[in-house]
Amino acid sequence: MAKERRQDVDYLTPLRRLLGSVVVLLLFALFLFWRIDSPRVERFRAQVVDQVVPSFDWAMAPVHGTLNILRDFQSYTRLHQQNQELRRELQKMKEWKEAALQLEQENARLLDLNKVRLDPRLTKVTGVVMADSGSPFRQSVLLNVGARDGIVDGWATMDGIGLVGRISGVGQKTARVLLLTDTSSRLPVVIQPSGQRALIEGDNSAAPPIEFLEAPELVRPGDRIISSGDGGVFPAGLLVGRVAEDPGGRLRVRLAADFERLEYLRVLRHLGTESIGDPGSLIEPDLDPEAESGVDLTTRESTDG
Amino acid sequence: MAEHAATSPARIWTMRAVYFGIALGILLLELLPLQTQPRGFAGPDMILLLTFTFALRRPEFVPPGVVALVMVLADLLLQRPPGLMAGLTVLASEALRNRSEGVRTLPFTVEWFTAALGILAVLAGYRVVLAIFVIPQAPILLSLSQLIATVIAYPLMVLGSAILFGIRRVTPGEVDTLGHRI
Repeated sequence: MAKERRQDVDYLTPLRRLLGSVVVLLLFALFLFWRIDSPRVERFRAQVVDQVVPSFDWAMAPVHGTLNILRDFQSYTRLHQQNQELRRELQKMKEWKEAALQLEQENARLLDLNKVRLDPRLTKVTGVVMADSGSPFRQSVLLNVGARDGIVDGWATMDGIGLVGRISGVGQKTARVLLLTDTSSRLPVVIQPSGQRALIEGDNSAAPPIEFLEAPELVRPGDRIISSGDGGVFPAGLLVGRVAEDPGGRLRVRLAADFERLEYLRVLRHLGTESIGDPGSLIEPDLDPEAESGVDLTTRESTDG
Repeated sequence: MAEHAATSPARIWTMRAVYFGIALGILLLELLPLQTQPRGFAGPDMILLLTFTFALRRPEFVPPGVVALVMVLADLLLQRPPGLMAGLTVLASEALRNRSEGVRTLPFTVEWFTAALGILAVLAGYRVVLAIFVIPQAPILLSLSQLIATVIAYPLMVLGSAILFGIRRVTPGEVDTLGHRI
């Protein structure tokens, strides 16, 4: 009987090895295919995520809820201290509210004076964060809005205050937001008030560095950073954060958005910046209607009459 | 020899399902949006650990097909290049499977060392291939901290899987359901 088993094994072992190598080859082929034709595989990935993550939802919601309750419970222990802090902050907020009201009135007056028109096409879709990237190597979150809500790749995403990232990968029901802190994130910005243009390059740290700055001496820590709209992917003028200097003397962005707590994100509908393709033509005086062709003349008469 | 007929087919398939289930559970926990701030260090790669623990202790529960399925799913969900980490893990787990019989009678430190070599091979190989294909990758410190955390967490994973799912090493005199020595 033992002999039988041995024969059996000798027959099976090479077969299993073969199966193992075939699996490994297939996997590496998948990787190569991804490297060559990445958009197709990324689309497939978006579909898989679209199927799998919402189906996890029933399990994720209670776990997430419990963990949040535990976190909140810790904060109960310092309830009194927090209460004091909140009172102080409320006092400060009242001051700010007063200042904001005055500024709002002033702003309205100035806008009126300047006849400024804010872009009416910048509307937004709000989504809830369902999942994060799941690994410390990638910085992204998954929203519960997708192609059925009209989300398009590349749209800017903000929390209440500042820019968070851009849409990168859209499924039917979900969309992935590549955060500004991800290593593959690049954002063209303008630093106010000096008007210096630069690029913010995510590097997996909480404060991404500012690169390609022409005259760093013109930039001070505390300057406002807004998106410049260069490249036509993002609308211009979205608040990104403020300049800060790290101990090594490198300029970084202190992001305005609260990356600690990304819960509801706004995706800005952006229908592309219009480009001026016309080189500007000769401006001529209106021609005499008599000089135009007969056909045009009759149509004009019919519309006039 | 040990892989064959060591346990009843029903138990083998149950344990394969258990392996798949735990991997899904780990993915779910990792995907929870609890920490959206970038971290300076990385925790252990639990799915890799789970796979290696099974491959070294009860290789019949993790055939290459199941490992490949789990790892490709993880690659897709965790935004890694699909197929690369999966391929490396299947390769390493096959290598560990071949050593599992020899490691069985040796002290635990040897097993730990073998697993550490496997983890090192996968994580280092991953970075090397990414470098060859000029794919942007995470800071080296992050990868190093993941490597160290994964190696350190191996005994914990062994303990956990032994207590929860009865994944013990096959002891020298053990017999299978049919009474054969394994």
